[in-house]
Amino acid sequence: MDQPSCTSLLLGKQLGKNWANIEAAQKLSAQTLAKLRQAFSDADSHDTSIVVYGSLARGEFTTGSDIDWKLLVDGIADPNHHALFLDAEQRIKKVAPKAVGREGTFEALASSHDLIHKIGGEDDTNRNLTRRLLLLLESKPVGQTLAHERVVKNILKRYLLDDRSFWRGTTVHNHHIPHFLLNDLARFWRTMAVDFAYKLRARSGKGWAIRNLKLRLSRKLLYAAGLLACFRCHLDFDSRERRRIFRGGHRSPDVIEVVHGIFSATPLDILASFLIKHDHLYRTASKIFDAYDEFLGILRDSKLRDHLEKLHERVADDDQTYKRARNVSHDFRDALLELFFDKTTGLEKLTRLYGVF
Amino acid sequence: MMQREPVNAVELSAIRESELIPLIQSLDDLDLSKFEYVSIHAPSQFPPGSEAWIFQELYKQLGRGWPFVIHPDTLRCDADWQLLGNQLCIENMDQRKPAGRTVRELTALFERFPEASFCFDIGHARQVDTSMVEAYKMLKAFGPRLRQVHVSEVNSQNKHDPLSFISILDFQEVASLIPASVPVIIESIVSGDEIRAEINRVRKALSVTTATAD
Repeated sequence: MDQPSCTSLLLGKQLGKNWANIEAAQKLSAQTLAKLRQAFSDADSHDTSIVVYGSLARGEFTTGSDIDWKLLVDGIADPNHHALFLDAEQRIKKVAPKAVGREGTFEALASSHDLIHKIGGEDDTNRNLTRRLLLLLESKPVGQTLAHERVVKNILKRYLLDDRSFWRGTTVHNHHIPHFLLNDLARFWRTMAVDFAYKLRARSGKGWAIRNLKLRLSRKLLYAAGLLACFRCHLDFDSRERRRIFRGGHRSPDVIEVVHGIFSATPLDILASFLIKHDHLYRTASKIFDAYDEFLGILRDSKLRDHLEKLHERVADDDQTYKRARNVSHDFRDALLELFFDKTTGLEKLTRLYGVF
Repeated sequence: MMQREPVNAVELSAIRESELIPLIQSLDDLDLSKFEYVSIHAPSQFPPGSEAWIFQELYKQLGRGWPFVIHPDTLRCDADWQLLGNQLCIENMDQRKPAGRTVRELTALFERFPEASFCFDIGHARQVDTSMVEAYKMLKAFGPRLRQVHVSEVNSQNKHDPLSFISILDFQEVASLIPASVPVIIESIVSGDEIRAEINRVRKALSVTTATAD
């Protein structure tokens, strides 16, 4: 049974806040996921998982959202995967007739081999990078879950086992930071930003405003959560716990499990579960979540959303709705800067060393 | 055939329902003197109507002290199976089965059967999670219950293959969590003249010094 993710709401309770839009989006996400899981309850292919991405996986689903999904294959290639894809598409359409993203088989069918083996190098295309990082940052399986869990853990295994200083600790500061993963997250974030400009040109400005706001908020949240998740590999443990976990460089599957646990939460909950432990950051937490709640409120309002979807870049600067949303994005950015440059938690040092230079 | 091999553990298998009675009838006639460890593998699937007589037949053999390796999805009448105590040896399952595949699912089973022991099928665990994280977690969580280990490479069609280069590397990642004293039952399907080579592959995968097989 899917329950709304609770750390964000717990944080709200702690701060005396009512983030009604976040709560409503989490509730709708949980309800929609439950329906999808019911629709796929008899799915019997153990080498595959139906994986949903985007706002639904992040717990930010609204009535105007699409369902982004893929058929993840982790096994022997079979021409009948196409039939499985068509069947899955029909099942999803029954649950949410208007919300299914328009993707063809090739976009919606992902093989684990490229995701696990092609990290970096010439063959790691934008598409492969995006699929891999979205699998880590915002994905939920419906129906059979094993293939999804297996692939996510194997991707993490690739990132972590190939990262010498993560296990040993950095030479000067003894930080256990997954550099390889962190750098790929940074690459993903910059790729999204560059692709925004590319799509603007390719689509002659169509949908500019809504995509711009998503980049400033939901995409930025993804990166912030990924970055914080990497830092939490170090910060969540005191030095004694770190010695036990990393055991003098022993590459224990325990660590993969710990990192998997951190990344399994939704992006908002990755932030919330860190913020809730540091009361000197409660003001910052309020700013982050107030801004995000307002952003989701705009997306939940079909009139505002439609308006932003049609708004052209030429007139955006004078548009009240866009200006309001842009101000929200500035609040969000400023609050994230406060968080990542907080000295008390040690985040400032990690951000300077591993997020900048 | 096993009499010729350098092994000291054996699992007597009645994997099909129809094999159980003939196996039990032959137990007193089998020469098992060279084996320090003997277990019985109960039928892996049967209709609910067969559960009572299968349990009764196994229960009658309780005095031999051998573990009964059971697939968890066949356990329906908890009160009966609990009578086997720690001789009830629950095996972790391959990805097709609805129960017993992960630590989470096994934890629920051991709550139902608190005295039960654990048959760790490393091939099943690897098939469920090739990162070997789940295998590692199983051994950490259920190590004190560990009674025996099943070894083979379980392919994506759920068949038991000989160990490959990759499965050996994967198994080595958790081998240190399997005490050398725990009996190892090799389930790989190989021809008679390949048995010795498979035993050596298993030695390499688990770095054990005592070779065992069924």
